[in-house]
Amino acid sequence: MTNLSRRTFIKSGAGLASFAILVSANPRLARSNDTGHITDIGPCLRFSDDGSTVLCVPTPDMGQGIMTAAAQVIAEEMDIDLNAVSVEFMPFIGIIDDEGIARDKDLTQGAGGSHSMMDLWPALRKTAAYSRALLVEAAAQKWGIDASKLSTLDGHVIDAGGRKLAYKDLVATVDINLDQSAVTPKPIKDYKVIGKDARNVAALDIVTGKPVFSLDVDVPGTLHAVIRRCPHLIGKVKSYNEDEVASMEGVKAVVKMDQVLEEDGWRTIADGVAIIADTYWHARQAADALTIEWDGSAATEDDTNIILDKCEALTKTEKLKEVARNGNPEEAFNAAAKVIDVTYTHPSWAHACIEPHNCTAHVNGNSAEVWVGHQNTTRIANIVKRFADVDAANVNTHMYRMGTGFGRKYVQDFVAEAVMLSKKMQAPVKVTWSREDEIEQDYPNHMGAYRVKAAIDKDDNLSGWHIKTALDTGRDWVAKDFPTTAVANSLGEVVSVPNNISHGAWRGPSHNTGAWVVQSALSEAAYAAGKDPYDFLIALYGKSGTIQTPDWPNMDVNYDRHVALLEKVALASEYGKEMPDGWGQGIAVHHTFVSACAHVVDLEMIGDNDYRVHKVTSAIDCGLAVNPLGIRAQVESGIMDGLCAAKYGKLVFEAGVPITNNFDTYQKMRIDEAPPIVNIHIMDFGDTEPRGTGEVSLPPIIPALTNAIFAASGKRIRSLPISESLETA
Amino acid sequence: MAISFTINGARRSFNGDEEMPLLWHLREEAGLKGTKFGCGIGQCGACTVHLDGDAVRSCSVPMSSLDGASITTIEGLAEGDDLHPVQEAWIEEDVPQCGYCQAGQIMATVAFLKDTPNPTDDDINNGITNLCRCGTYYRIRKAIKRAAENMQTA
Repeated sequence: MTNLSRRTFIKSGAGLASFAILVSANPRLARSNDTGHITDIGPCLRFSDDGSTVLCVPTPDMGQGIMTAAAQVIAEEMDIDLNAVSVEFMPFIGIIDDEGIARDKDLTQGAGGSHSMMDLWPALRKTAAYSRALLVEAAAQKWGIDASKLSTLDGHVIDAGGRKLAYKDLVATVDINLDQSAVTPKPIKDYKVIGKDARNVAALDIVTGKPVFSLDVDVPGTLHAVIRRCPHLIGKVKSYNEDEVASMEGVKAVVKMDQVLEEDGWRTIADGVAIIADTYWHARQAADALTIEWDGSAATEDDTNIILDKCEALTKTEKLKEVARNGNPEEAFNAAAKVIDVTYTHPSWAHACIEPHNCTAHVNGNSAEVWVGHQNTTRIANIVKRFADVDAANVNTHMYRMGTGFGRKYVQDFVAEAVMLSKKMQAPVKVTWSREDEIEQDYPNHMGAYRVKAAIDKDDNLSGWHIKTALDTGRDWVAKDFPTTAVANSLGEVVSVPNNISHGAWRGPSHNTGAWVVQSALSEAAYAAGKDPYDFLIALYGKSGTIQTPDWPNMDVNYDRHVALLEKVALASEYGKEMPDGWGQGIAVHHTFVSACAHVVDLEMIGDNDYRVHKVTSAIDCGLAVNPLGIRAQVESGIMDGLCAAKYGKLVFEAGVPITNNFDTYQKMRIDEAPPIVNIHIMDFGDTEPRGTGEVSLPPIIPALTNAIFAASGKRIRSLPISESLETA
Repeated sequence: MAISFTINGARRSFNGDEEMPLLWHLREEAGLKGTKFGCGIGQCGACTVHLDGDAVRSCSVPMSSLDGASITTIEGLAEGDDLHPVQEAWIEEDVPQCGYCQAGQIMATVAFLKDTPNPTDDDINNGITNLCRCGTYYRIRKAIKRAAENMQTA
């Protein structure tokens, strides 16, 4: 697979002993570059001037831990002690295609869909194993013995007699031609690093306040930009007081930003006014002094309550667009002993990335440098190409940790703004967003209504399933997925309710609320059938079947995994135990992409309208577990994110303007509402490859929570956020 | 007239816009990037520093209030290579995910433990109000307790 068109050790100048393996014929890798060490950086390993070793990981990290897990893979295959090295992000190492577009080659450089590790797994192991083989061959030549007599340990090649050569002393010595296909990664049984707990490799930098985020970047000569963006979903600047602000202290320029919309109406650049100043504070002051008259007339109908009412009304209409059908649902409902008919609604959620978006760019003629935390390294070159007309091959990108991403930091806007303004100012420009910008200009999660009818036959089994979804996106997944696929007689219908909101990927897209609808309705059906939800789920998933994902044809999720997950959390949480009045347990399971997770929530009602989650018991199937400690961190994170979004998440639009735009109006949970006990079980179904983790624990936590509220209080939550609906439930 | 104060023990004076929040002086003028910008309205606590030993949200502290003040930031917490016990506990419990809010969480915890050296869960719930978007609260709670224990036996 890996196309090693060139392979050699490269000796660099200035005493920088570096080791490079070129994984592609990408001209960037061979090109000298005066702003970085592009020619000196191999994909996985670099030796710095002080002789220390740096592992280089391909994929951006927004907290999901890929930096650590990918470093484990490299350390495993290269026999390097993770504690003896530092870790950084690779620059772009893909290819530029014939149309000038930057693309990933063998190593993926984007994070999303919970598949960074799945994507990296084959190529990264192969690349690292090959790197190790080259070092062994170099030592073999130096010592004049056969490579098969040598082994490696902790960054050294060693021979049977105890001689050692450090990797860093082996670079730049020989020219080696080694057949890549002759090298195979280690077998699982030999793993010493993969599968073992590894702490976040950036932890020391983080707890000592090192500048590891792009907001911390100081490029000499940088101008600072603060942009006032149109708060209306679609809108334009009518007029502004340019003269007044242009003379304010430190202001270098006042730049009109022109709206850029994609063909489908998606907003890429908001209309607005940018202040360029010598310091951030001067830019901020002048931006605050701007008086802008906006024209928001194009989106005045976009109002959360109006949209949700419209969605709910549409689920009551006779026939929507049919997207799935099994058996004879009409007959099943006619013959049913009982039918439940329930409707669920939820509003939009904002990402609220803790690090407000920012980017520093320096466009200089037909080349550019970018300093940014973004979910896709490869995409940066293409954004620069598009918005500054610079060849993608001439873009040098410095990747930083992201202060969370959740899908939002995959978007172009904050990079494009910096690039355009740098080109205009012919200087490095740093764009810093405010929290209000970050929420107002979000690409939020969808909102909408879901009507579910479930038929229970005379034997108390689920005999029919009919789901109608009316969402403000075109997504139809919830209507087509489980249990539409599993119930003998089922029907899925959809309608989309377009508006001017530019939607984006929000951790576990579609799954995040779809699992709540499905697992809540199944719980309601269970009670209607006189069964415990656990027994009902076991019966449903107990039929043989698989969840198939077209993107990953070799990674079906068999229902027996759901059963095992449910059994595990039920056992570990003592599900069904006696609890005091006002306490309850809720259970749910869901597959997100090709992984699956089950939870049991133990909670206590606080009065009639509040509750505390005391314990969460979880089981996750994420395939081969590379870093169990990091996987548990992601499960904990998804639990918290889901509990928080379910209780408080509500991005309110009024007349086309998001009016909840900071943490005073868009509430997030603090430690007082976090479950003090979280017990996580990582399942082993014998997979030899990783699946995904980052988004997987979130979707099932919401129905586990609302099912627990029902068990504790008899109140069924059919609309989110819970903080608003519990009182009337 | 210049405003004089110390940051991590070093004397500084300031002559600029007195309404500017301390956060931006730290980040843009003192070169101390560990203190983070999160919300600008004192809600999230990513910008928490110590002002005369108390935890404050530096995005909401104007420079005008700082004459004679002693400020400690995350960069001033360790003594040379010796980490503060709270920093150590954060690493041992593997708290940071993205890491962005953690300097603020650590500064809040250090001040909290001075007043509440042996905290209960309720004390933690009431005393620590910083926001973490990764939801590391479960591990923060464990790290606070570990740090408290280590500081008492130290």
